[in-house]
Amino acid sequence: MRGKFSFGVCGIAALAALSIACITPLRAQSAQSIEQKTQVCAACHGADGKPADKTIPVIWGQQAGYLYIQLRDFKRGDRKSDIMQPIASSMERDEMQAIAEYLAQKPWPDLGQPRASKDVADRASNANRSIGCTGCHLDQFQGDGTIPRLAGQSREYLTKTIADFRSRARGNNPGMTDLMLATAPDDLAALEEYLSGL
Amino acid sequence: MNKFSIACAALLGATGLLAGPSFAQQEVKQEAKSTSGQAKVSPVTQAQLNAADKSTTNFLLTNGNYAQTRFYPAKQIDRDNVKNLHVAWIFQTDVKESLETSPIVVDGVMYVTTSFSHVYALDAKTGVQLWHYNHKMGLVTTYCCGPNNRGVQVLGDLVYLATLDAKLVALNAKTGDVVWKTDIADPELGYSETMAPTVIKDKVLIGTNGGEYGIRGFVKAYDAKTGKLIWTFNTIPENSVGVWATKDATGRDMHRNIQAEKDQLAKTGDPYQKLGGGVWQNPAIDLATNRIYFVVGNPSPDLDGSVRPGDNLYTNSLVSLDLDTGKYVCHLQYIAHDVWDLDAVSPTVLVDVKGKDGKTIPGVLHAGKTGHIYVHDRKDCSLIRFSEAMVPQENMWVLPTKEGARMLPGANGGVEWSPIATDPGQGLAYAINLHQPMTYQVENSPYPNGKLWLGGAFKAIPGEAQAGNITAVDYNTGKIKWQVKTPEPMIGGILATAGGLVFTGEGNGKFAAYNSSNGKELWNFRAGAGVNAPPSSYMVGGKQYIVVGAGGNTQVDFHRGNNIIAFSLN
Repeated sequence: MRGKFSFGVCGIAALAALSIACITPLRAQSAQSIEQKTQVCAACHGADGKPADKTIPVIWGQQAGYLYIQLRDFKRGDRKSDIMQPIASSMERDEMQAIAEYLAQKPWPDLGQPRASKDVADRASNANRSIGCTGCHLDQFQGDGTIPRLAGQSREYLTKTIADFRSRARGNNPGMTDLMLATAPDDLAALEEYLSGL
Repeated sequence: MNKFSIACAALLGATGLLAGPSFAQQEVKQEAKSTSGQAKVSPVTQAQLNAADKSTTNFLLTNGNYAQTRFYPAKQIDRDNVKNLHVAWIFQTDVKESLETSPIVVDGVMYVTTSFSHVYALDAKTGVQLWHYNHKMGLVTTYCCGPNNRGVQVLGDLVYLATLDAKLVALNAKTGDVVWKTDIADPELGYSETMAPTVIKDKVLIGTNGGEYGIRGFVKAYDAKTGKLIWTFNTIPENSVGVWATKDATGRDMHRNIQAEKDQLAKTGDPYQKLGGGVWQNPAIDLATNRIYFVVGNPSPDLDGSVRPGDNLYTNSLVSLDLDTGKYVCHLQYIAHDVWDLDAVSPTVLVDVKGKDGKTIPGVLHAGKTGHIYVHDRKDCSLIRFSEAMVPQENMWVLPTKEGARMLPGANGGVEWSPIATDPGQGLAYAINLHQPMTYQVENSPYPNGKLWLGGAFKAIPGEAQAGNITAVDYNTGKIKWQVKTPEPMIGGILATAGGLVFTGEGNGKFAAYNSSNGKELWNFRAGAGVNAPPSSYMVGGKQYIVVGAGGNTQVDFHRGNNIIAFSLN
């Protein structure tokens, strides 16, 4: 999420939350409840699961395995983000997994994004048939395990992260980079509109 | 007590009250604990398993028997009466996702699995559920091509299951309770399990998925009683370079740049540690020689050969091992340094075949994604012949390009994981094929720590028609005996029976029986979801059944369902 990341109010809130987390003694941190630990997430990803900025992904109700792997990758530096890397860097594996499972249990929020038109849906469906999105993201794009749910994800986030895969700014899944590079931009735009409206 | 019983009890109580105290209300005893929830099966012996090819009542192994012939010897259902076949029962599983299970039947009890590694024990006569094992999946699963599971095997009183989160589980055959569980490999590094284990002589044999994630593939043997590891055979040896083969097993030039590969080898060394080589399907076992025969899948990354110099042994190969020790016996590589993912997946079959000199010898069959059925000498794995191509082949072997190069077959085959069937009496092998025109595109990226590592993309070409077929091949000549075209690519499996029939299903929900000698369709049924699983057959109460899963398919995106459907004559 480097470069194009929109800081705005959310970035400030996250940094504030982060500095609180950083100055809290370690022992107190480990005694924190999961609700307290995930307060830092709410600053950007939304206290009600609706992200503060549309280029930030929905994480409520997201697949737990996927959330864990992203935290792990932020910590390792495999996925870059000036915001997420410092947050994940202090987390141990168990903690990441507990947070991932906690967030996965939350209800997926309705962002109120419109259904795609039939033409757009057909174009998205053809693109899926060509590269096989549902081979991993599964029927109805609900994801599973380490594969994220795409249905109802923020359209602006989808646009941004697909662009980041294509430019390799998001480097923690070269398989996705390959597939996104193999798909025409117009088809990707249709997929983004279609998926966000599911 | 359910709501109905409470209401009844209240009513009875009220009646008693009205009748006055002169009668003493008899206590209504609750029924004794139902016997449902228990599968009444006798322990399966090794002798039973060894003779599975002759059993006309049970279906004991994923592919029918250790030779994996998928030839069922019962013939109550035959060419004349198959038109009367109808649904005996339907069982609806709790999971509506890709069904690839081969139902296993022991003494009238059926074991089926679903996506996400569920197991059900059913009464094979009625379809009534006896127990359900709902595997608690680990947080991390990394898998290609769907959350599939292809079934279980039973030995003694244990049912063996391999799970999506790469665990091996032994369940009590009567109750479904876990007896032992062991980790096969780390799912965070790209390992997962979708195949059914093969159990023999107190060993549980299991391969692994992960060729799309930079794993190092293996076949492992575990102690069937304890779950303790006995041996591991790494499908990628430490010296994976091989002989710099420039032609495939059919003699076609693969356009390798050997000098560039040698330069890369000098620079980065042998790539064996992350070279892939999954084993998706069960080994066939030669009980006479104590050898196992299986095929190894593609190298990682699938399409980018620049980072993996050499032949990439033993990817895309037939491999034989000694059952007791796991030691290498022989191999034959179909495609060295594969950059198309046209690998070896469909399970091997052991039948007697005509050798090069026309004499009958023990052979091995494998149906490739290339669209050929390969016929081998079981003694040394050498290739005797390969069949005529069952699907269109165009532009082989053009190298993948950045823009995408068109080549047929597409990356799913030919024959995918789908097991073939054989009729040794007729000398025929029956394979189901896909025809999906694709472009092959290459990209370069470093090993991504257990993430999807394709090294490019294979894309179905929009506007180019896809199709499928059922093909019968004479494995003693390599000639196609008959072929039935289907409107969609075929994936799932096929069964041949002594009734002169083959049974197979399509993604559009059609499940049909064909005359095994000429391919004439004799019966069909519409299941309402893709029939993309291998059928089984069995007998209960003197009646023969055909059973198949109709759950669609993730990989080819066929309509999903959740039904296990059994058919009988009356």
